Amino acid sequence: MSIMKIENLEAKIGDKNILKGLNLELEAGKVHAIMGPNGAGKSTLSKTIVGHYDVEITGGDITYKGKSIKDMEPEERALEGIFLSFQHPVEIPGVNNAYFLRTALNAKLKYEGKEELNAAEFLRAMKKHLEMLGMKSDMISRSLNEGFSGGEKKRNEILQMLILEPEVIILDEIDSGLDIDALRQVSEGINKMKDGKRTFLVITHYSRILDYIEPDYIHVLKDGKVIKTAGPELVPYLEEHGYDGIKED
Amino acid sequence: MSIEATIARYKEDFDLFDDPNDKLEYIFDLGKKHTTLPDEDKHEGTYVVGCASDAWLVGDCKDGNLILRGEGTSEMAKGMLTLLLDIFGKRTADEILQFDPAGLQDMGIMELLSPVRQQSLQAFLKMVYGYAQNCKEQGA
Repeated sequence: MSIMKIENLEAKIGDKNILKGLNLELEAGKVHAIMGPNGAGKSTLSKTIVGHYDVEITGGDITYKGKSIKDMEPEERALEGIFLSFQHPVEIPGVNNAYFLRTALNAKLKYEGKEELNAAEFLRAMKKHLEMLGMKSDMISRSLNEGFSGGEKKRNEILQMLILEPEVIILDEIDSGLDIDALRQVSEGINKMKDGKRTFLVITHYSRILDYIEPDYIHVLKDGKVIKTAGPELVPYLEEHGYDGIKED
Repeated sequence: MSIEATIARYKEDFDLFDDPNDKLEYIFDLGKKHTTLPDEDKHEGTYVVGCASDAWLVGDCKDGNLILRGEGTSEMAKGMLTLLLDIFGKRTADEILQFDPAGLQDMGIMELLSPVRQQSLQAFLKMVYGYAQNCKEQGA
């Protein structure tokens, strides 16, 4: 069953057309990997799905659970269960990490008509995730991402994902800047969320993370379009032949 | 859950916070579940004398069981009332009278309260124990 359908999507950043009639269907509960060369439009695709202000949609549509989201505000898309782990998470000095996460979670719980968590309930939930991700407990009382190393920022993105429990999870180069231990811990966090119901869109340059998070589908993105969709058997082929060896479907 | 067990549960909650300010913020957070009293219950007889902000406490006694309801006006009073009503709110008069209020220290927050707030707490406890004593005497 499809949870998200992207049809003939065209989008630009500034004056530059980046997505040029992109088609992609995400099957619910599956792990979709998007691979492609630099400049293919991978990050623009993720930004377009979440409604990033950099991007202007000039054609086509994105439907999520059967309804168009292209005119929805980013926060509404997030409340509906779409999550993006940023390639370059921003630092926000003065905003306490725990407050930020709890505010986000409680906004979502309220939207879903559920009871909000108080500070103690929230901390209890968060501390077990911190341990699994190998994060120090002081990271939750620091300002959001301020002074965090690259690996800590990516772990913090995964912490947000674990707390918010989204339905569609977009991971934009979550593996960049991670050493082997951090990659393993981040992958463990991601795999914890793989329950056959949540859908993943894993954007990556390299196959390394796909050794940890086994994808169901590989989509090759080139020049603003998905040119090929195949099973995980495509990964070793790409490793050997590169993207130039791929023929359009 | 006994009074002691409820206090132990709150101790666990407060122990989660390293920063004393976060413990106090948790008290404010508890106040989000604070209930209010109907206007007819807010009068001289239910007014918590000695509390730093306006607060009222009602004690309804039936067959030796004491049901406490309260309302505070400041964020701190709302939070502390919510916490204390969770501890004392639905007890038998005997349970309350047999409990030494010094046991509240176990939560690890009493030392964080300013002298004025400590005084407010004592004013609240005085009313609670007064209601409990009356309730016990009614049942006798």
